[in-house]
Amino acid sequence: MNNLSLLMDGFATILTWNHLLIMVIGVMLGMLVGVLPGLGAPNGVSLLLPLTFTMDPVSAIILLSCMYWGALFGGSTTSILFNIPGEPSSVATTFDGYPMARNGEATRALTLAFMSAGLGALAGVVMITLLASSVAQFGLKFSSPEYFAVYFLAFCSFIGMSSSAPSKTLVSMMLGLAFATVGMDSVSGGLRLTFDIPDLVKGISFLVAVMGLFGIAELMVTTEEGLSFNGIKSRIRVRDILRTMAELPRYWASLVRSILIGIWMGITPAGPTAASFMSHGIAKRFSRHPERFGKGEPNGIVSPEAADHSAGTSALLPMLALGVPGSATAAVMMGGLMIWGLTPGPMLFITRPDFVWGLVASMYLGNVVAVILVLSTVPLYASILRVPFAIIGPVIVAVIFTGVYQVANSTFDFWLLLFFALLGYLFKKLDYPVAPLVLTMVLGHRAEEAFRQSMVMSDGSVTVFWSNSLVSTIMGLGVLMLVWPLFSRMLGLRGWRRRLHRQKPQASKPATPDSRP
Amino acid sequence: MTHNGISRYSMEIATALLTGGIGLAICYGAWQVGTGWTPSGPDSGYFPFWIGVLVVAGSVVNLLRTIVGHRHKDEIFLDAARLKSLARFVLPILGFAVISLLLGLYVGTTLYVLFAMRLQGHYAWWKSLASGVAISVCFYLLFELVFQVPLLKGPLEHAFGIY
Amino acid sequence: MYKRNPLSAHQLKPLALLFAALTVSGSALAWQPERPVEFVVTSGAGGGTDTFARTVQSIIGKHKLMDKSIIVSNKGGGSGAEGYVYSASSQDDPYKLTFGTNNEYLLPEVGEMPYAADDLQPVAAMAMDEFLIWVNGDADYASAKDFIDAAKQNPGKMQFAGSQSKDTDQTLVSMIEEATGTDFRYVPFNGGSQALVQLAGGHVDANVNNPNENLGQWQAGMVKPLCVFSPEQLPKGEPVYQGKGWGDIPTCQSQGIDISEYRMPRTVWLPAGAHEEAVTYYQELLRKVSETPEWKDYTTRTVQTSRFLTGDELQQYIDDNAKSVKKVFEQEGWNAS
Repeated sequence: MNNLSLLMDGFATILTWNHLLIMVIGVMLGMLVGVLPGLGAPNGVSLLLPLTFTMDPVSAIILLSCMYWGALFGGSTTSILFNIPGEPSSVATTFDGYPMARNGEATRALTLAFMSAGLGALAGVVMITLLASSVAQFGLKFSSPEYFAVYFLAFCSFIGMSSSAPSKTLVSMMLGLAFATVGMDSVSGGLRLTFDIPDLVKGISFLVAVMGLFGIAELMVTTEEGLSFNGIKSRIRVRDILRTMAELPRYWASLVRSILIGIWMGITPAGPTAASFMSHGIAKRFSRHPERFGKGEPNGIVSPEAADHSAGTSALLPMLALGVPGSATAAVMMGGLMIWGLTPGPMLFITRPDFVWGLVASMYLGNVVAVILVLSTVPLYASILRVPFAIIGPVIVAVIFTGVYQVANSTFDFWLLLFFALLGYLFKKLDYPVAPLVLTMVLGHRAEEAFRQSMVMSDGSVTVFWSNSLVSTIMGLGVLMLVWPLFSRMLGLRGWRRRLHRQKPQASKPATPDSRP
Repeated sequence: MTHNGISRYSMEIATALLTGGIGLAICYGAWQVGTGWTPSGPDSGYFPFWIGVLVVAGSVVNLLRTIVGHRHKDEIFLDAARLKSLARFVLPILGFAVISLLLGLYVGTTLYVLFAMRLQGHYAWWKSLASGVAISVCFYLLFELVFQVPLLKGPLEHAFGIY
Repeated sequence: MYKRNPLSAHQLKPLALLFAALTVSGSALAWQPERPVEFVVTSGAGGGTDTFARTVQSIIGKHKLMDKSIIVSNKGGGSGAEGYVYSASSQDDPYKLTFGTNNEYLLPEVGEMPYAADDLQPVAAMAMDEFLIWVNGDADYASAKDFIDAAKQNPGKMQFAGSQSKDTDQTLVSMIEEATGTDFRYVPFNGGSQALVQLAGGHVDANVNNPNENLGQWQAGMVKPLCVFSPEQLPKGEPVYQGKGWGDIPTCQSQGIDISEYRMPRTVWLPAGAHEEAVTYYQELLRKVSETPEWKDYTTRTVQTSRFLTGDELQQYIDDNAKSVKKVFEQEGWNAS
């Protein structure tokens, strides 16, 4: 195949010690940026941009893209260890990653996350290599009604039965929607819900909300319960990492499904955050043991991570094949392309094949490098949990405050953070679910925007959401997801009984030798 | 308040009132920008208004469920001992926020880590102070030098000529 | 925020002496930055304003035009309002060089903004970005005339995609309607790249993107330009697609759309009240930037017209520009309050 030989040329371009060194540096800086909650991948990449002005484009893009991979991995680390998502897209990882770490299996949680993330990223690159142009054309089919349908689907697949009272779920969900609408309304061009507070013009940052709702609120509950993380005495051994890797094939169904979701969301571009929420929701919905989710279920870690990374990787495809950014980070990289003197667009494949295929090759290599590097840091990270809480707690708080400040250099955000911390604490103690709030805050605003754009395009007719086969299919899937619990309960009575018998041998313990096939 | 601490009953009510209040604020804010449905789709405040209404409705249901249903009457939300350890954690954070506003994040971080370690872990003064300073210095190296993202600074840094 | 240096007596005598020397020699010594300068970018990373600011940053770095380092911070929230509010709130701070477009003085016109146009003072305008009418590469229209004729046949049906609501894009579309007696539907998307995708995917009929935003897709024939809103045709350059280049695009005026010029200035601002000498310093700095080959390279590649304006000339330009745009706002009833 032509693409493959071009890819080989790409490998030939990048396989120098110089480039390998740049990769390692990029990944390490990225991990650092991902771990620090305020910085995040797009910021991190733009911080490195000035350094690349004097580099040749291939080295520069390797540095930036490897930083991106590193940041994606770093974001999941803090989600799992401290319940603080370093990136919006790693919020869904906290749902099961943090409980597993608290059960004393931090090593297992981190390894599962990193391995599935690596697999997701690799799948994304393979897709780019083989299908670049045709998949990009598919992305062009999406307009506002289709975007709305995708958000609707993500929403439906995540919202489902929860143990909380429906009225509490409703309040949580609606508050998330409301917080997301604060600031500039892009469809009317005016401000709303800012109450004449200048600091609200920029809107309420999702990161600030999440750091309060998850990070500080979690610490408050932890302190209240007696100043310690449970299970900090868990041993850290390299064997645990290897054993967890061997456990991975068991989750193949979740992996494949999440990778597909991720690739789809990456190119359309609904983004990695929607992808990770959606695949966590779907994994729960199709699971035989939905009740285990939220308590440290391995599928609940594997799914969002694989989706997050395959979406993050696929998001570079629209940039390469169409010249449009698929994510915030891709937008920064495209800005970089222009400064280096390249024109992003479909012709880049023809005018600068060395650059494009060098980048694709570095995506393969960079992700392998990243997985090796992050896996080697697992013992280090896991040992952080052994540090007494009276030390690590304040450090986390200080990191959160610096992160909040970096989001917008605004001290007003300190008070927002404390407000969200209070809200998160109350919600947690009074059995209000927090996940719906976070999900609607991420997707709600974009869904509204897409909805209103569709209304402008269709002259105010709601039928636009059933106007072609693509949009009706996605809307139909959404409705199916919404009624699935009901549906499966009606059909699956027998399966349910079978499940009861199976429950014993599949307790959520780490892999034991006898469970191997 | 009961003699055992704060009851869950009263916290349920307080939270429902809080969310209901936010809901009303949302409705008011949305009403300011228009809540109608124009020929080219919904107005700027259309969705926020109904979102606000749903928040209020949900809060009212939560309130009634608690009061009418006498739920959580005997549950304790926070007992005195837990309240104490929570206050030890939360009060330094409030202090951190205020001091950071006045003196910048570096001074704030140093003092916060110092007092938090003293209060929660009962570490020696010198250990706590050393940790606070060390963390501030790490932040400085990491943010100002490596990533070149400035943190909030106050009069102390300015006196040393650091901006 | 602390603007003054509360130096205490016992502190670093040499520094105090230096300060004394500075105050004595006063106007003789020109203002120089003493600490890192923050470039406040009023768009998200990767946007047009961002590329503008980062290009300036890279040129300053490459030619070592300034001793102190530069920190770029992106504040694109609220269509750029976030950045202007941020600068406006640090009155007379000469270390917040703010990069934007004409939205600095247009945003407060259309919406209640927590800053006024006067809260920032213009330092320089460095380039003018052009606007064109673009249609899908497969569209039947051979010329802008065809396009306008088609629009007259279908009043209120044809759709323009644009970056935001009530921004430069929508203003231009209103002006086109006014000039030709047509009626379009304007759909605000989030930024020029979204407007481009929608056009390339055939979901809308046209957009008015800047040259740079659509260059890569024109190369591939996914979109094509019909006319440009400049008084004369753009300078001849290399052919972009099927032998046609920027210089071959007719002006819109020659196609019967009576708008001789519509451009967007790339502007640089300082908070109002910043020292006059600081303004002069940055003007000189930016002038040096605009004279480098790298700057020329940037404007050529992004098909902007390099035009360096400062002082009265700039003020005049801003007044004229604001006046003509405000007229459209009034017609459309977009004015705030």
